[in-house]
Amino acid sequence: MNDTANPPATITCWVEAHTDALFAWALHKTSSLETAEDLVQDTFLAASESFEKFKGNSEPKTWLLAILNNKIAEHYRKLFRHSEMHSSKDPVFFSEEGAWQPAQMPQQWGSEHPLDDADFRKILEKCMNKLPAQWSAALHYKYLEEKKPELICQELEISDTNYWQIVHRAKLQMRKCLEMNWFNKQ
Amino acid sequence: MKGLMNKMMLSCVKATEMVEKKKLFGLTWKENMQLKAHNAMCKVCKEYEMQSEIIDSVLKHYLQRDNIIPLNNEKLKLKIISKLK
Repeated sequence: MNDTANPPATITCWVEAHTDALFAWALHKTSSLETAEDLVQDTFLAASESFEKFKGNSEPKTWLLAILNNKIAEHYRKLFRHSEMHSSKDPVFFSEEGAWQPAQMPQQWGSEHPLDDADFRKILEKCMNKLPAQWSAALHYKYLEEKKPELICQELEISDTNYWQIVHRAKLQMRKCLEMNWFNKQ
Repeated sequence: MKGLMNKMMLSCVKATEMVEKKKLFGLTWKENMQLKAHNAMCKVCKEYEMQSEIIDSVLKHYLQRDNIIPLNNEKLKLKIISKLK
């Protein structure tokens, strides 16, 4: 059957064939069942609307994944814009004079960081999920694809200074969480 | 002289910010010197710089990995197919 002959039938086939992989990817990137399901659904709706743009010279899965990745980026852009810049609950890492708070000082790390270890991945995910929404969105956005920082600032509509300060705070919190739960776990 | 030194020396919060700025956008010559001077004397911030590098590499590896195992979700398939009609 020619892929372009009958768009609805083709898209239905794609739903059957690719939903599981797309859903797993969206869940990995967002850690939320509901968000992942919505994003995959939006991906197929968008694919169906712009079906004539699918030229058939790439794999359907590659095309769908590209649409999904755009949807994930959009999700984090929205999350970033709609979350609070600062909250009173944000941890305090430094004193007024800019010295480390004793409890936040980096310790030398004991254990290794086995990249593909399932337990380590769980801790990483847990630490990411504990970040304030805006910091988490900024970090996810940073590692979505190989995007230039200048482009990220443009897309998130923030200044360079704002961006590195948010990354700084997010990494301070990630650092502490990984130290307590993995590297120097008591 | 002490006043001048204080003006030139970065605090720990500034030094660790400079670590992140350096990775993203690069530093000016002066900022680079200030960071080097600070980290030469401050073991804690030097440690931060090393750990910041590790965090980057683990997050990148974790979030960009492509060997994700598909998750069966029949309910979602049915839902999407019904929306497409």
